[in-house]
Amino acid sequence: MIASSIRWPMVKGEKSNKEITRELIAPNEQKPAMWWYIGMTIGTLALAFGGWAAYMSVTVGLGTWGLTNSVAWGWDIINFVWWIGIGHAGTAFTIFFLVFRQRWAASINRTAEAMTVFAVMCAALFPLLHMGRPWLAFFIMPYPNTRLLWVNFNSPLFWDVIAISTYLLMSITLWYFGMIPDLATMRDRAKNKVSRALYGFFSMGWDGSMISYNRYETLTRILGGLAAPLVVSVHTIVAIDFAVSILPGWHATILPPYFFVGAIFSGFAMVLTIMILIRKAFKVKDFITAKHLDAIANVLKYGSLVIGLAYAIEVFIAWYSGVSYEMYTFLNARMTGSFSTAFWIMVFFNAIVPQIFWFRKARQNVWSLFIVSILINIGMWYERFIILVSSLAEDFLPSSWTEYTPTMVDIGIYVGTFGIFICGMLLFIRYIPIIAVNEVKAYKKEGN
Amino acid sequence: MTNIVAKFRDEAKLVSALTMLKNNKVNLVDVYGPYATHDILKKVTRESRMPYASVLYGIFAIVFIFGFMYYTSVIDYPLSYGGKPIFSFPPMVIVIFLFTILLTTILTVLTFHARANIFPGKPLKNPDPAITDDTFALVIGQNYNPEEIKEWLKESGADEITEKEIQ
Repeated sequence: MIASSIRWPMVKGEKSNKEITRELIAPNEQKPAMWWYIGMTIGTLALAFGGWAAYMSVTVGLGTWGLTNSVAWGWDIINFVWWIGIGHAGTAFTIFFLVFRQRWAASINRTAEAMTVFAVMCAALFPLLHMGRPWLAFFIMPYPNTRLLWVNFNSPLFWDVIAISTYLLMSITLWYFGMIPDLATMRDRAKNKVSRALYGFFSMGWDGSMISYNRYETLTRILGGLAAPLVVSVHTIVAIDFAVSILPGWHATILPPYFFVGAIFSGFAMVLTIMILIRKAFKVKDFITAKHLDAIANVLKYGSLVIGLAYAIEVFIAWYSGVSYEMYTFLNARMTGSFSTAFWIMVFFNAIVPQIFWFRKARQNVWSLFIVSILINIGMWYERFIILVSSLAEDFLPSSWTEYTPTMVDIGIYVGTFGIFICGMLLFIRYIPIIAVNEVKAYKKEGN
Repeated sequence: MTNIVAKFRDEAKLVSALTMLKNNKVNLVDVYGPYATHDILKKVTRESRMPYASVLYGIFAIVFIFGFMYYTSVIDYPLSYGGKPIFSFPPMVIVIFLFTILLTTILTVLTFHARANIFPGKPLKNPDPAITDDTFALVIGQNYNPEEIKEWLKESGADEITEKEIQ
């Protein structure tokens, strides 16, 4: 690819390969700053709260959750869908990089993939605990057993388990294989024996041979190609969990594409939040430039338009169907009834606020980027809340209508997943280069 | 056998040295470096055949998963779910799709390990630790004109030329 003056530079300043190595690996070689310890403390406390909540769920039972006969899916599934959505961005960035050859993603995909891995782990915890007896979770896997039973291949819930397991495995594979050359760099720079042995073990004897590189690049391209349809399928299948039911508000063909766009949208928002924090904490503004943030903001801007359109279409189809239950769910329960506050927060944060990114100044101001990215994630949480609870709490029979309130155990599990996410991300940035050093070196001359 | 090892810090000089050596039909062993570019790869090695292997794995996975589901749902334990047909292809499509990706990924990764001969704990054999930082090392095999080759490498701008045994 030829560097062009009309393309923006991927790396600011004329940096040599040695400088790039030094600047990007320095955070891993220094003692962590105070904010890292504060973050780890907060994460550990959240984890402890989550541990207590999980203990209560397992020992006392799911009666400790706020679920009722009508609202049988509550915070657990809301948060499951929310985390899975966030987990879509990492692999999406890798696909941008490997399949669509968007080289600017080289500075972002390592951290975005880490975010994906931890987000999917957090997501998987909710259905696992919702099983009630998580130690029997392996029953869902198709294996020859003494009960002489096989799983129901027709069930979307089984598809979901397979989709998420495959996605988690694929995300870890893409993440790990992407970092092998950088682990080798860490190994060769390690100053003590333990670090050298550990990085040496995980870098698998990587020696920088071009014959190996050739196979390595082919492998990552194949994995990127395989991951592309997988990313689309995962949230599609999560959407099918809802769409195959007959509940008003769920029984809609728009749900799969709508969920997928929502997932990419919320994932990119979370990447933006994390990238702004990392850029500030690690002083890597030459590698994650204002243009990188601008590019993510542009994706959010268009994602927001699609999401807004999906909201409008849902309401239109409910009215156009002439089905009174559908009309009630959308026009009464969601827009003007018990759930109207959550509904309008969702519409405002997801479909209206990101439109500010039509203004260049908003895309170039770190504060506006940061605040909007947080608001989008709140808005996307409300979207899942609205979809789940409004349809379940007020369905066909007014006699079965109920109110839904989460308990402290529900809240504890959600907070606990933040603990997993925060601790996981902090350990990642402590021991692994946050930016793919070898990829930045390879593409630093190219623009985008 | 000792090899001539020429080190370059400038990628452009390495590419021009490679072009010259290729034109003079010099026997190259490998090039080591901190990253790979298309220019270097096409001069050192040929295109990998791994994509063909992946396609075969994909076909195998489709047949295997379809056969497995047909055996479990139709032959081994034909259970009627709400009067739906015992053999129903549409819901199988999603499981076939996901398992095909899963199996193809696992088999392709294993193929990579086998062909590239890398595995956890493998001892390191690269010619210089700076290779993972900023140095390219061009390793030359047995040739009838080693002195002439060293001269060419010097002309191409090699930063250092040594002789070393590379396994």
